[in-house]
Amino acid sequence: MFEVFLKELRELLRDRKTLFFVIALPMLVFPVIMALVGFMASQAAMEAKQEVHTYYIVNESFAEKFSEQVFYHKSFKKYNGELALDSVEALSDAVRNGVIDVGIFIPADPAKNLESGIKSEWKIVFNDAQSINFIYDRLSKLAMSFSDELRALKLAALGLSQEQQAAVLQPISITKVDTADKRENLGEKLGVFIPYMLIPLVLMGASYPAIDLGAGEKERGTLETLLLTPISRTELVLGKFLTVLSSSIFCALITVSSMALWIGIASRFVELDVIKTAFSSVAMMDFVLIFALLLPVAVMLSSLTLAISIYARTFKEAQNYMGPLSMGIFIPIVMSLMPNMELTAKTALIPITNVALAIKEIIKGTVDYSYVALIFGASTVLAAGLLVCCVKWFNKETVLFR
Amino acid sequence: MIAISGLKKRFALTREHKKKKSQTDPRERDGFFHSVEEVNLHCGEGEVLGLLGPNGAGKTTTLRMLSTALTPDDGTILVDGQDIVKKPVVARKAIGFLSGSTGLYGRLTAKENVEYFARLHGLKGKALKARCDALFQRLEMETFLDKRAEHLSTGMKQKTNIARAVVHNPKVVVLDEPTTGLDIMTTQTVISFIRDLKSAGTPVIFSTHHLDEVALLCDRVSVIDKGITCFDGSLAEFKTKGQSHELNQAFLNLLTGAAHV
Repeated sequence: MFEVFLKELRELLRDRKTLFFVIALPMLVFPVIMALVGFMASQAAMEAKQEVHTYYIVNESFAEKFSEQVFYHKSFKKYNGELALDSVEALSDAVRNGVIDVGIFIPADPAKNLESGIKSEWKIVFNDAQSINFIYDRLSKLAMSFSDELRALKLAALGLSQEQQAAVLQPISITKVDTADKRENLGEKLGVFIPYMLIPLVLMGASYPAIDLGAGEKERGTLETLLLTPISRTELVLGKFLTVLSSSIFCALITVSSMALWIGIASRFVELDVIKTAFSSVAMMDFVLIFALLLPVAVMLSSLTLAISIYARTFKEAQNYMGPLSMGIFIPIVMSLMPNMELTAKTALIPITNVALAIKEIIKGTVDYSYVALIFGASTVLAAGLLVCCVKWFNKETVLFR
Repeated sequence: MIAISGLKKRFALTREHKKKKSQTDPRERDGFFHSVEEVNLHCGEGEVLGLLGPNGAGKTTTLRMLSTALTPDDGTILVDGQDIVKKPVVARKAIGFLSGSTGLYGRLTAKENVEYFARLHGLKGKALKARCDALFQRLEMETFLDKRAEHLSTGMKQKTNIARAVVHNPKVVVLDEPTTGLDIMTTQTVISFIRDLKSAGTPVIFSTHHLDEVALLCDRVSVIDKGITCFDGSLAEFKTKGQSHELNQAFLNLLTGAAHV
């Protein structure tokens, strides 16, 4: 069995395709892609921030102070063309034709309106179909501060002091006192993300070598010769299984460590305090526990992918089966993300969902160790069952010589 | 010595196959394809037996049962007096198997391929090295030993395959169409390998469609048609029963004779 394992491992390490998927992809390609996406997103945001928009205010004289603030704002430039606009429709047309970027329609003098107890309604006309857009935020902020000023003046005229004004405007204010510590709170958010990334990686690390070791062996015509050696088929399967398992664990390990490394490097340039504080309270023991929980998942997925691969006639057929499997793996993980899903004696028995829930609890620091033991037991039983199937299939003529 | 008697093997038909209900092949009945119905053959010490038959006659299935890859439904296979159906592990140690479609592990070198199988057969340390070195020398493999199998020529691959098949010093050698698709040079390698085995007293059974190879190498001939042995005897008897000195004609006469019976 060990002989088979060593040989498979040697062959695997010489396969550039598998090495690429198991090592290069998570270590280099993914971080580079993520960094590129992050860089491009921040570039786009920065460009949007720095963009200067041409504006037009209808009835500027009704709100002189506001108009002045917009005029001196670094992101806005007053329209200096010859067009005279006087309605929302005219502003819309101008925006559509690219004459201006934004139009503000002030229908009446807000101070006078307030005197007569009427609320003023302004309109900001612009194209909102852009994902990064600061126009509305900036203008509404300016308009609101103008509105606040008008309100304060009116309330002062009514004889209310500043403190009274605050109390009248908001008689009750609410402050949240959270009993959950920072770790628990962040763990709830980050903890769901980690199994989402780790479990598919374990599958990916298993499926590439599994295809090669099962269906690949049939396609190359080496399976028959292997079956004619005096070592038992159980040993053959176990040797192959150990290779797949090593690869899947290695893939998860290397991804996590490369991620830690890249986050470490990135945190020197960018502020990533949120992640740092969340993980600083996660003890080494917790990391060990997470990996211990991933082990039965790896065993389960390794035996499953190997069984599929042994069943398949060709490389291509095996790949066809792996496709839906890699989609399907997300179902139990997404189940763990559903609201009110908690680690209980029942959910601890649902494969993969249980591990995803437990990882979240571990990161939150609220894990119940008896459930962890239950998960470990349940997953091991399932993994062993799948492995028995694997061995049985490897003994079946109808599967081997399909 | 190899003796096969009353060998039978059937395979369950797939659902699609059953639906077609085209009863063209008499071997398709009661939900099964009776691939091998009655095969008997005999190959003594130092004899080479040529296994002949049209495509789909059941030659490969017979050889797969002989090599223990498939388990027969009925019948006995004796290798050196031992029933290998009951003791497959004994058979695997005693049989060397090679077919035209057997592959090598492309990412391992020729040497690693042979040594891997030697280790699986229980060879270790000095014994392994001595056996492999002797084989490499005999098959003139030294020049490409450290090349990966995926980069070898067909001839080099076949030599590596031969070394792999006999690395454990098998008592009998089974070859399933070992020369199909090979060029003249490589075919010659296989032929001289069979001659070597013959002179060493190792019984060889090989299936082929090339009757010139049969004339060149075989002492005995066995013909399978539609899963049934229709001839098993010496080369001379083959010519007599086939009523021709030309092997091709004798073979055809035997088959048509079998069809008339």
